[in-house]
Amino acid sequence: MTAAHGRPARAMAAPGVRAALVALLAGALCLALAPRFAWLGQWPDAWTLPLTQWAGTAVTWLLEAIKPLAREFSALMRHPMDWANLALHATPWPITIGVTAALGWYLGGFAMAALGAVGLGFVVASGYWTESMNTLALVAVSVPLALVVGGAIGILANEMPRLKPPVQALLDVMQTVPTFAYLTPLMLLFGFGPVVGLIASAIYAAPPMARNVLLALERVDPEIREAAVMSGATRAQQLFQVEIPSGASQIMVGVNQCLMAALSMVIIAAVIGGFNDIGWEVLLTMRKAQFGQSLLAGLVIVVFAVVIDRYSGTLAGERRRHDRRVVYLLLALSVVLTALFWSSLADAATFHVLTPVAEAVDRSLTAFTIANGATLDAIKNNAMFFGLLPLRIGLDQAVLPFTWGFAWTGTMSWALFAVAAVLCLLLIWRGRPAAGLMAMIAAGMLETGIADLPWPFVLIGTAALGWVAAGWRLALLSLVLLSSILLSGLFGRALMSLYLSGAAVFACALVGGAVGWLAAVSPLAWRLVRPLCDMLQTIPLFVFLIPVLMFFQIGEFSAFLAICAYAVVPMIRYTRHGLVSTPPDLIEAAAASGATDAQIMRDIRVPYAAPTILLGLNQTILYAFAMLVIAALIGTTGLGQSIYLALGQADVGLGVSAGAAMAILALLADRIVQGFAAERRRALGL
Amino acid sequence: MSRATPPVIACQNVWQVFGPNAKAALADALARSGGDPQAAAGLLGAAGLIPAVQDATFEVGEGELFVIMGLSGSGKSTLVRCIAQLLEGTSGEISIEGENVVGAGKQRLTRLRREKMGMVFQHFGLFPHMTVAENVAYPLRVQGVDRKRRRARAQEVITLVGLQGREGAYPRELSGGQRQRVGIARSLAVNPGIWFLDEPFSALDPLIRRQLQDEFLNIQGKLRKSIIFITHDIAEALKLADRIAIMRDGRIVQIGTPTDIVLRPVDDYVREFSRDVPKGRHARVASVMQPTDRCRPGPDDPGLRQGMTLDVALARCMDLYEPVPVWDDRGACVGAVNPADLAAALQVEDT
Repeated sequence: MTAAHGRPARAMAAPGVRAALVALLAGALCLALAPRFAWLGQWPDAWTLPLTQWAGTAVTWLLEAIKPLAREFSALMRHPMDWANLALHATPWPITIGVTAALGWYLGGFAMAALGAVGLGFVVASGYWTESMNTLALVAVSVPLALVVGGAIGILANEMPRLKPPVQALLDVMQTVPTFAYLTPLMLLFGFGPVVGLIASAIYAAPPMARNVLLALERVDPEIREAAVMSGATRAQQLFQVEIPSGASQIMVGVNQCLMAALSMVIIAAVIGGFNDIGWEVLLTMRKAQFGQSLLAGLVIVVFAVVIDRYSGTLAGERRRHDRRVVYLLLALSVVLTALFWSSLADAATFHVLTPVAEAVDRSLTAFTIANGATLDAIKNNAMFFGLLPLRIGLDQAVLPFTWGFAWTGTMSWALFAVAAVLCLLLIWRGRPAAGLMAMIAAGMLETGIADLPWPFVLIGTAALGWVAAGWRLALLSLVLLSSILLSGLFGRALMSLYLSGAAVFACALVGGAVGWLAAVSPLAWRLVRPLCDMLQTIPLFVFLIPVLMFFQIGEFSAFLAICAYAVVPMIRYTRHGLVSTPPDLIEAAAASGATDAQIMRDIRVPYAAPTILLGLNQTILYAFAMLVIAALIGTTGLGQSIYLALGQADVGLGVSAGAAMAILALLADRIVQGFAAERRRALGL
Repeated sequence: MSRATPPVIACQNVWQVFGPNAKAALADALARSGGDPQAAAGLLGAAGLIPAVQDATFEVGEGELFVIMGLSGSGKSTLVRCIAQLLEGTSGEISIEGENVVGAGKQRLTRLRREKMGMVFQHFGLFPHMTVAENVAYPLRVQGVDRKRRRARAQEVITLVGLQGREGAYPRELSGGQRQRVGIARSLAVNPGIWFLDEPFSALDPLIRRQLQDEFLNIQGKLRKSIIFITHDIAEALKLADRIAIMRDGRIVQIGTPTDIVLRPVDDYVREFSRDVPKGRHARVASVMQPTDRCRPGPDDPGLRQGMTLDVALARCMDLYEPVPVWDDRGACVGAVNPADLAAALQVEDT
């Protein structure tokens, strides 16, 4: 990349150029030979190994082996779950609200107390109190489990440096394997019921805790560590009296993330059903197309997410002391009110204050979609015909009289390639051969469509990209991992997933980059965008499906929108952060050299922000993959759908292999982008 | 000074090499270079290892204030961490009060730190979640001293460093100078005999620095600890030290009294350091004194003493040309000084 600005002779030898050349050659060869050798275009079924079945057999055998133990554990976990259920259901709702408000006051004063009271008030009014308490009971049991397990993993990895790499890898896997994928084996292990949701959410929520504990311990100032040693503290004293307390705020960030992950997963786990919680309610109403109710239930989830997030967020910041007396006052007030109105206290489940609202929303929505159906359809169809379809199956198949008004011909293909070739030559002439070759490759991919890309091109192209990003190790890794997908016969679905998430990531990069840039140059824009970003990041994945479903029904476009809505946030945040954190002396030096604002942006701020923006892109990719699986609920093809189907049929083999394939894609994308970000950081000497 | 008392700290050929398989690489490099440390360090560097401390040998006597001075990256902080056993030295012997501590077990090291050592850090190393009093009392807390007794002892040292009244404050509420007072108090809490100070005043403003230096000398005057004091500031080294070791690129290039360093630098590197130092303020009469047998005080005897700085001595015998006798504290004549030598010693070299 750096060499792209150098002289042509040197630039031609740069790794980027060589890699692009190799990929281009591979693609061209495939394109030229595909008509003659069909196996080049599509991996023949006869060549696949029954990896899926093998995985199924192996995992099932393993699961059967530990099943008795798991059932034992499941029986054990029933107790705390029953206690949590009992405590949350038996407590009269005014007292629950009072305790929440008192806790809010204790943590963050009036604002937090009001947030808690209003939020829970809304839950009571919605009539979803019982379901909410079921969800909350699950969270209440899974979070301590995740905190203890995650904290222990973090401390262990810190104490034994040799364990760090495998632990990091394990955490990566735990977080990249899509959530639905491990629901299937868990179901086999623990049977139907809430314990599966509990375990799944603990598995999902432990890694952020482990990561943050490890990070907190690694970041302890070495002098503080040495001061503890020189004070004559034993290792245990150093750890528990000095290192952990002094890293408390980082650990609290972990607690916050752990809570949010647990909540998100408990709601996702609703798809297996069986425990009448709020996630199930959303799913049910969504299936019945009662979007008003569905939205209401979704809002209840959002309320919980926001309250839990803001409450635990105050733990990480520096806390001011708030008057304790208010805490007791709030508690006393709720008890007194409950006692006074004991006889007339209505069961929270019987409240339906908001039901008419939900029904009204439903009616007006129906009216709106009927009235504007044509417009919505037009938006959807245009996006499909001119954006998504060509990306998926290529211009040669997507351009039809029905879609574009004319048919794609061979001449047009040649014209496309000719334009790309001219652009390529122009770029090479301007001293940017890598960009030129990339233009050629892009033209080829547009012509073929991502879902129909020949497998040798995908393998070689990814390996080349990995080689440029992080050297031959990554190239080899990507070859091996992609080959395993190929052999398992899931390659076609993997390409489908790649296409949809790729399209979403591309859109997020454009939109998120632009919004992030705007937020960087205009404080006003940031003040508007920031709460939106906060909100989008707090909302559990599941809830994103409701609004897109309301307007665009089931289908790929809805999935695309849901993925974009969820994955765009990191792109915005990181772009802005990268752009605003340019060291002021650099900007002053540029300004003193006579650069205009635009020149400073182009020559100083953007290059300086590049590594940060790349990290944002990395996060966006991971978010997109995570959402892709959830989006399978509203109709996508590809791996996400396979995982979802496997869950329905309790097909462990398919679930595990499709989950692994998904994790492989996420892992490779992550490593490649991280590699580029590291390369940029090194180039800037950061 | 105090050469008669046995050394409290003794380092013998201490090496600290960073890199993979440092021990074997060092042994190999020493074997290949025939035991020449500089050549061995060159070989290690060429192999991609970092010889941060090379062949350091010195002793610190009882009650001595030993300063290690060098620029950043010269290995001085690494050396003191080797001695304090915060780092495991790659090779060499380190003994504390006569017992070898290299390879000592965890428990013994912990005991050693609880009983004999205190350390002050450049950036203070205060525990952010503890108050001043809790910070200072921490070395006692880990030993299981009961709350009342450690409160009382903490109060003593807090008073010693002049922080009474701030016991309940948190480190973030203190100024830099106050924070380092806490650091000093904490390192003295167990009343250790050996005191390590790693650039304790480098992070402070010049005015605060001078104030703390004076107070530090004051405290040392009362407590007489055996001290290893790290600094990169030659003026600080000359002001505080009984003896100074100058380090460069991991090597100790000279060990000597402040006067030695100023008047008799071993090489250009050391000379470069002392070039801007006003010699008259640091060199003592003893350094230019010569033995004599003519000890009759003249009528205008200026009363020179061994410990006087050259500046003071010269001011007293500006108008004298004959050798002047020098007296010790008991009033006995110990030698004579030629005023011309005094003036010559103060000449700033032009090289």
